[in-house]
Amino acid sequence: MAEAIIRVEGAEFRYEGADEDAVSGVSVEIAAGEFVAVLGRNGSGKSTLAKLLNALILPKSGEVYVDGVAAHEEKNSLAVRKMCGMVFQNPDNQIVATIVEEDCAFGPENIGVPPAEIRERVDSALRAVGMEAFRESAPHMLSGGQKQRVAIAGVLAMRPKIIVFDESTAMLDPSGRREVFDVARQLNRGEGLTVVWITHFMDEALKSDRVLVMDEGRIALEGTPREVFMQTDAIHRMGLDVPQMARLAAELRREGLQLPPDIMTVEEMAVELCRLR
Amino acid sequence: MPGTPFETRALFDVSLSIRDGEFVGVIGHTGSGKSTLIAHLNALIRPEPGRVIVSGVDVGQKGQSLIEIRREVGLVFQYPEYQLFEETVEKDVGYGPRNLGLPDAEVKVRVAEALSQVGIPEELSGKSPFELSGGQKRRVAIAGVLAMRPSTLVLDEPVAGLDPAGREELLKLIQDIHKGGVTVIMVTHSMDDAARLCGRLIVLNRGEVAFDAPPAEVFRHGDELVEMGLDVPECVKLVKRLNECGFHLPDNLFRMEDVERAILKEVRGC
Repeated sequence: MAEAIIRVEGAEFRYEGADEDAVSGVSVEIAAGEFVAVLGRNGSGKSTLAKLLNALILPKSGEVYVDGVAAHEEKNSLAVRKMCGMVFQNPDNQIVATIVEEDCAFGPENIGVPPAEIRERVDSALRAVGMEAFRESAPHMLSGGQKQRVAIAGVLAMRPKIIVFDESTAMLDPSGRREVFDVARQLNRGEGLTVVWITHFMDEALKSDRVLVMDEGRIALEGTPREVFMQTDAIHRMGLDVPQMARLAAELRREGLQLPPDIMTVEEMAVELCRLR
Repeated sequence: MPGTPFETRALFDVSLSIRDGEFVGVIGHTGSGKSTLIAHLNALIRPEPGRVIVSGVDVGQKGQSLIEIRREVGLVFQYPEYQLFEETVEKDVGYGPRNLGLPDAEVKVRVAEALSQVGIPEELSGKSPFELSGGQKRRVAIAGVLAMRPSTLVLDEPVAGLDPAGREELLKLIQDIHKGGVTVIMVTHSMDDAARLCGRLIVLNRGEVAFDAPPAEVFRHGDELVEMGLDVPECVKLVKRLNECGFHLPDNLFRMEDVERAILKEVRGC
């Protein structure tokens, strides 16, 4: 495994007035260049973990290191946020300007990047998400997927090493979802960006390098998508779902068919069934 | 956006009728006209040209009172929890009936009934809706529509953004509401939910009705659906793929449990 760019050790966090910790004793390492999906039912602590990585909140105990910088110390908050960007769920809540390229320039302008460099950053960010043709458009005329790509470009213009996506496809239609996921995957593969991808969609998790499943503030399961989704019963117990073909495979095995335990896709299922016939 | 350079026509010559007691799924790519269509169903938009008739009443007729139509057809928007506003769950759900001028006792009965329909326990009725979990908020918002006792419930992507367990729970509730005699029209992006729940699917493409048929018939047109930016359920893809490599599965299967049975039959038969 490459060197850890994120290291969380025994992090705990409790919201004001809550009876229980939202994150209770999470330890995890994420390598530079990894694409890690985080699953878990509502209230399992996914978003709280995301906010800890970005220093939006500070843990009450435990340590969080982002590229070696202590994100659990308030004095480092700004440095951490420059390194670790976030894209949220609602495309309409994260766009501030009335022109796409001005929106992308908002972050770099705020940290005093010289104008010529801002131009260069904005152009390359919009190119990276395939939105350069829309650079002079008004964001409200764009589709949900396009708006999310603009939001990603705005984060990219800050030149982060990590982007945390907190259910960034939840409000999109199937083609918008694909569009945004593919951009994130491409940035990860092409530019070596580290991605933490929080989602409720199992098919997205299936296309990640590694999956973390959170339950009751802890990391309950961890492994490659296959390793995780083979544990059908545990996944269901945590209020989640496995990919449909994994579920069908489990049913067919229960009926006595000799199928391998790690079928996840239609193609894999078809190949195995044709072999049986 | 009428009267601006961005004015576009969202629907073209759409004709359809929905019978009492149906469970209809409306699917289509973003911009296909789904939301425009459902906004016609309770007179949020009046057609020009064309006619929309709800329970025998012509929605577009001049001077026609819209209150009756909106009482008849309850519309649940996307992310309806953003529309909660009252101090307590009980007040929020009772807002509609109170505005109808119903006596307090009747409002109370309706609120209790609507909350139980969506599985919100009575002890939450005095709480602020903003203290509830996301899934609970959404159910309270739906209860607010049910408290109007509509004969038709129109839901625009009711499970968007929920986690898998929350999705299942809400879909089950919608099924129960349908079984209770309410006509349900549901906009969805999930082909699997559409296949599982709906007796009939209306597929919109560029403002026109591309298909209007039972799921088995619609999913037979997999390639055309993909061309429209839509998808087919995974199990339909599996059946197609298996038949390509020598299986003889019926091509009208679209539910996972039926596909499972057919596969077992064929594998064991050999």
